[in-house]
Amino acid sequence: MADIKIKNLHKEFGTGDDKVVALEDVNLDISGHSFVSIVGPSGCGKSTLLNILTGIETPTSGTVDITSDGRVAAPGYVFQAARLLPWRTVTDNLLFVQEDRSSETKQRCQRYLEMVQLGDKGDKFPGELSGGMQQRVGIARAFCIEPDVLFMDEPFSHLDAITARALRRELHHMWAETKKMVVFVTHDVGEAVELSNRILVFAKGGRLTDDIGVELPFPRDPSDDEVAVAKAHVLRKFEELDLLAS
Amino acid sequence: MTTTETPRRNDVSASTAMSSAPNPLAVAVRIVKSPHFARLLFPVFLFAVWHITLAAVEQVWPFAVDVLPTPGEVGAFMWDEFITDTLARKNLYETFYISLRRLMSGFAIAMVLGTALGLAMGLSRATNAFCHDWTMAILAMPALAWALFNSIIFGFDDRGPILTVILAGIPFVIVNVREGVRNTPRELFDMARSFKVPQSRIIRHVLVPSLLPFMFAAARYCFSIGWKGLVIAEVFGGQDGAGWTIKFWYDAHRAHGVVGYAAFFVIFAILFERLVFEPISRRAFRWRPQLQTEVVEEAFTENQDLQDQERPVR
Amino acid sequence: MTATQTDISTGEVAAEQRVTEEELARRARQKELTSRWFWRILSYVVVLAVWEFALLDIFSWLRGNPLDPKLLPGPSEVLATFGEIWGEGTMPAAFQATLTRIAVGFGLSFLIGAMVGILMQSKWFEGFFKDAVLISLSAPGLIWVLITAIIFGNRPIGPTIAIILTTFALVTVNVSEGIRALPKDLLDMAKSFKVSLYKRNRQIVIPHLAPYLFTGLRFGFSIAWKVTVLTEVFSSSEGIGFEMRISAVLFDMSEFLTWILAFFFFALFLEKVVLEAIERRYFRWRQAVVAS
Repeated sequence: MADIKIKNLHKEFGTGDDKVVALEDVNLDISGHSFVSIVGPSGCGKSTLLNILTGIETPTSGTVDITSDGRVAAPGYVFQAARLLPWRTVTDNLLFVQEDRSSETKQRCQRYLEMVQLGDKGDKFPGELSGGMQQRVGIARAFCIEPDVLFMDEPFSHLDAITARALRRELHHMWAETKKMVVFVTHDVGEAVELSNRILVFAKGGRLTDDIGVELPFPRDPSDDEVAVAKAHVLRKFEELDLLAS
Repeated sequence: MTTTETPRRNDVSASTAMSSAPNPLAVAVRIVKSPHFARLLFPVFLFAVWHITLAAVEQVWPFAVDVLPTPGEVGAFMWDEFITDTLARKNLYETFYISLRRLMSGFAIAMVLGTALGLAMGLSRATNAFCHDWTMAILAMPALAWALFNSIIFGFDDRGPILTVILAGIPFVIVNVREGVRNTPRELFDMARSFKVPQSRIIRHVLVPSLLPFMFAAARYCFSIGWKGLVIAEVFGGQDGAGWTIKFWYDAHRAHGVVGYAAFFVIFAILFERLVFEPISRRAFRWRPQLQTEVVEEAFTENQDLQDQERPVR
Repeated sequence: MTATQTDISTGEVAAEQRVTEEELARRARQKELTSRWFWRILSYVVVLAVWEFALLDIFSWLRGNPLDPKLLPGPSEVLATFGEIWGEGTMPAAFQATLTRIAVGFGLSFLIGAMVGILMQSKWFEGFFKDAVLISLSAPGLIWVLITAIIFGNRPIGPTIAIILTTFALVTVNVSEGIRALPKDLLDMAKSFKVSLYKRNRQIVIPHLAPYLFTGLRFGFSIAWKVTVLTEVFSSSEGIGFEMRISAVLFDMSEFLTWILAFFFFALFLEKVVLEAIERRYFRWRQAVVAS
């Protein structure tokens, strides 16, 4: 089981007069089989937080520890755009991020491709697939390196509503089945409520203002009353924040 | 009505398959309307124009031209060349072999040097600022100037034509490779790094494939421009080779020889494109669903660079 | 990064920050520009110095035996020769002869190329002209020059035909590219508002095609002047190409370089400065669309 411990995390860009604070004193613990969504208005530092978690950026101060059973956790990523190598087939794209090309690895890749319902598309090039299929390949790629924790950066924001909904359902099944921890950045509150059991709300200035647990049974239908109420609750937090900001 | 709705592309094959169709007139109309028929019609049309011009020259304006070869003369000349029965010093195959050898030497040097320079210019702004104007100057200089200059400096040996090929082709390689470096897919490098893919695999699977289309365009260009430069260089500074031979017929005042040899030039360029570049392109770029294989489409890369100058620096 | 910064900041701080950000960006641009010009000017100095002092040795080494210094005059000598020729007063006449030839030949070529490009929208004509375009693009301009020179001798029609055959396809390709990219959505919009055909052509089709035509013009010109000079080498008794041939035959490299460089700079000036300035002036909307 993965553990994320963030202590006194502080991140600023620039120096002197040009200093801009992106994250301010963030303290956070995430553990176990969680699905954590990070939501907030644009510019609230959620992308910065993800970049720090994934190691693309380093914090100005504070510590971030991502461990799994005492060792450094293996992360997997799903990006906003699928980021597939257009000149390699779907299978080769999955193998590209693997440590070896043994037959076991190939079988594992095939298994995850089937899980995202692309079992027969292994020999296709990404350019021959639709946007939704490409993003499915991206998800399969992240899962097939068997990570301890998965980071996702608005993975469905480029897709049409119907495809996104189907993929959300698939993602939920995969999360439930593989028992991975998922850290999911989104600007879509409905999506966050539908998928996660914990929602972190960030405000402008990079402050973590709310930590909301969502204790509703899965699968969640967005049209259910309880889900709608939860969504409204988070949205109200947003409105309060907006008032504060202006 | 159904006949007109079938895709035009398949017209010819469809019509032969349906030869038992009841209405032969409709089939004939369909054949005439097909673009393939139009394509075949073009040479016929050319011959007709040629004949009419010949007749007009003979009867109406006898002094409009010095000499106008007839299709028969040109055909006979081309056949003689084809079966290596020639008055020139070397036969057709030897001649084109000599030229191809020079072209290949120049092409290889231009590709290597051009790639190195293009990479340097794509990676370093200072190098780019240093070399940009001169690349553009070499690009804009007519091959004629290089050819004459090299013929005077080197006299009549291989080095003049080879240097001309290099100078004519290298700016295209530089410009394309630089563009390739500037267009490297940064998000894919980030992806690979975040998945901790080893450096060697990143180079092989991300960097090289992303540069490949640009390298290929560079090669195609360098080859076709180099070929054009080479024949001019051989005209002015050669003792053999394709350019020298066409000049030989020109100096001998054999118009049919010039036209016939010109036709060989065109055939050579098109054969090379079809037999070498197109198969490579099809194999290497299977992953590009909307690839345009025609040279015609790529005739604009030069312009990219012109626009590129106006783009703000990032 | 800039986006995040401005978004995060609030109130007065934001205004203050924006100023400094702009200032910072301006300073960075300034620095970048200075460095670019430094390298650029340095490159001119280095290249001219190499040409003046070292090129003779380089070519001697390439040749394997020493090169007669007369065959490779330095920039100072070329400049002096330019002064001499300019003093003789033959240069404007040669320029005029060549430019007239380009204007006539390329003018016709442009019209023919545009017409073929329009015709090629029909699949049938596309098939008909396909090989003509392919041949024109892939054949060395030299062969048209030689063929027309041997057929027409010194008659002015020879160079004209050679220029047409080498350049028309470039215009054709640009025009058909432009027509293929016609904004169908805008035309449909106009139709649904019942805009008249005349107005549709005037307001949508022509503004859309103009930049493509212009690209064809600029690109075609860059090829046309080179072919023109080449035709003059073979079949003419005046113009830049003719002067180049005479000086090459006399092994007068200084004059040879003067002629070619003089016209080279003139053509480059037309191509890069005049035509590009026109393009920037009249087709600014196009760049704006691309940028956004």
